[in-house]
Amino acid sequence: MNAALREPPRGGTGNIWLTLAALSFLGLFLAVPLIVVFSEALSKGAGAYLAAITNPLALAAVRLTLLVAAVSVPLNCIFGIAAAWAIAKFEFRGKSALLTLIDLPFAVSPVIAGLVFILLFGNNGWFGGFLMRHDVRIVFAVPGIILATIFVTFPFVARELIPVMQAQGKDDEETALSLGATGWQTFWRVTLPNVRWGLLYGVLLCNARAMGEFGAVSVVSGHIRGLTNTMPLHVEILYNEYNIAAAFAVASLLALLALLTLAAKSYLEWRQPELRRAPTQARSHGRTLRERS
Amino acid sequence: MSISLRGVSKQFGEFAAVTDVDLDVPSGALLALLGPSGCGKTTLLRLIAGLDSPDRGQVLLDGHDATAWPIAKRKVGFVFQHYALFRHMTVFENVAFGLRIKARRERPSSAAITQKVGALLELVQLSATADRFPSQLSGGQRQRVALARALAVDPELLLLDEPFGALDAQVRHELRRWLRRLHDELHVTSIFVTHDQQEAIEVADHIVVLRGGRVEQVGAPGDVYDAPASDFVHRFLGQVNEVAVTRRDGRAYLGPMDITEAMSRRSIGSAAAIALIRPHEIEIGHSQEGWPATVLAVRAIGPIVRLDLAAEARPAPVLLEAEMSRERFAAAALQVGDSVTLQIRQWQVYADPT
Repeated sequence: MNAALREPPRGGTGNIWLTLAALSFLGLFLAVPLIVVFSEALSKGAGAYLAAITNPLALAAVRLTLLVAAVSVPLNCIFGIAAAWAIAKFEFRGKSALLTLIDLPFAVSPVIAGLVFILLFGNNGWFGGFLMRHDVRIVFAVPGIILATIFVTFPFVARELIPVMQAQGKDDEETALSLGATGWQTFWRVTLPNVRWGLLYGVLLCNARAMGEFGAVSVVSGHIRGLTNTMPLHVEILYNEYNIAAAFAVASLLALLALLTLAAKSYLEWRQPELRRAPTQARSHGRTLRERS
Repeated sequence: MSISLRGVSKQFGEFAAVTDVDLDVPSGALLALLGPSGCGKTTLLRLIAGLDSPDRGQVLLDGHDATAWPIAKRKVGFVFQHYALFRHMTVFENVAFGLRIKARRERPSSAAITQKVGALLELVQLSATADRFPSQLSGGQRQRVALARALAVDPELLLLDEPFGALDAQVRHELRRWLRRLHDELHVTSIFVTHDQQEAIEVADHIVVLRGGRVEQVGAPGDVYDAPASDFVHRFLGQVNEVAVTRRDGRAYLGPMDITEAMSRRSIGSAAAIALIRPHEIEIGHSQEGWPATVLAVRAIGPIVRLDLAAEARPAPVLLEAEMSRERFAAAALQVGDSVTLQIRQWQVYADPT
């Protein structure tokens, strides 16, 4: 790629004003809140901050959040790779239906997503009686939280991989097959290494969302302290109890996660310039139509 | 490996990419699939490789029906137009790929792999680049890595999709001659796809001209060039002048030349007809006999001199392009504006395709 082509034309005072406007907008809506989070968290001193985040209930929330992410991210990773592989490399009926389904969690409000699980697995839900008879708790328990998180973070990995895989076409895979590779060998040695940066990027975004998800989890969690409270829910409870400093202390951990994610994302983009392209643009470069002569 | 196609057809949606193709490729041949874009040549190559399966017809490899065989079983080496090198592997690892993925009992030892890859890189003159990544290579080098990688698994059939398409003219010319020499050394049956007639004539010993998914003509390059089976092939293999055949009193004429007999040999009858003449078949002189013409322009660059001519005809003069060697041009002492006479040494008549 030619660097000169990528850079916007320079010169003109218009550029300066545009840049200033964008920066002040970002400052107002992103930087200022971030500063507020950390200053409020530390408003009662470092001792109070440490006490807030080492409180057993806070620690339980951290543990639960980590557990939820540890289960939902790998599952969505496997699903995302499988879906992207199928969509990018094969032609089949119902392909556009699958694409729409993958986008569904983006379109549906997380609260509705949570409610759906209550209607399915709650005591009065479709499977409620069956679950009660077998003494399985999903709603207002950890499994429900994990299910809701998986649903909400469903599209991240797949959406990131599809354009990358489509842009790369099928030639590499077909070459591997012609050299005698099996399907698995082709996947592990050719396809996966080719998309590794895109995959990491998707996992990162998926993880950030899994840890930060509030709406859907709030509906299915039941807010049982020490048991079904994730970090975002814990922040809300503390805040509602006017324990502002503690609320911001826990919130600062989430903010820190966001900053780390952004840093890692920038690093990946620097490593792999292809990711910088918007997905739609990459898709139009992709050879979705068969090129034949 | 010999290849036979029997009534092979392939459709993509509404588009018939390949229709009823019958083809026999003898073992050890170097064959070119030649045609304009969209003629089905790449599809045909993929059908032979097993990358696509035909809707109808059979693919026979060494006489065995291989239509349902997966690509791995066909022992083909396939080189893609854009090489499809594995970008996360070095040149060495790219070439070694086909050996490393073999099942344990068939896999050569690590030392044997190193030796074989080394020999292949030497064959393609890339020993010095073994540790580089594909992104650090030039187009011609990538092409040769792709070829070495395909050869590593000892294919009995080598398939190349537009092998020189993405290279600049200079490299392309060198690589063509190199590929020809390589084939003479290895004798692996090879088929390559091209839209460049010059390339097909220079490299291949058999040419298959395709048009709209059907075989138009098969033959040695010289035969196809000298005796084209249709006006399409005639036009596709080199430059042509097209002249409408005129008729007077029940006879057919090409300029002043009576060609009625040739017309009836071609059994064109009284339908509209055209004659195709290659530029180097037009002889320019000052004799009394022949087709009167005027020299419009002269382009004398390199060993070949090209002339634009206006040959007398009604209602309007016919524009012709002629070629001659620089020596002949100097001997004839031609200048723009000269009145000359033309002799047409070779021509072919066809029913007017329009």
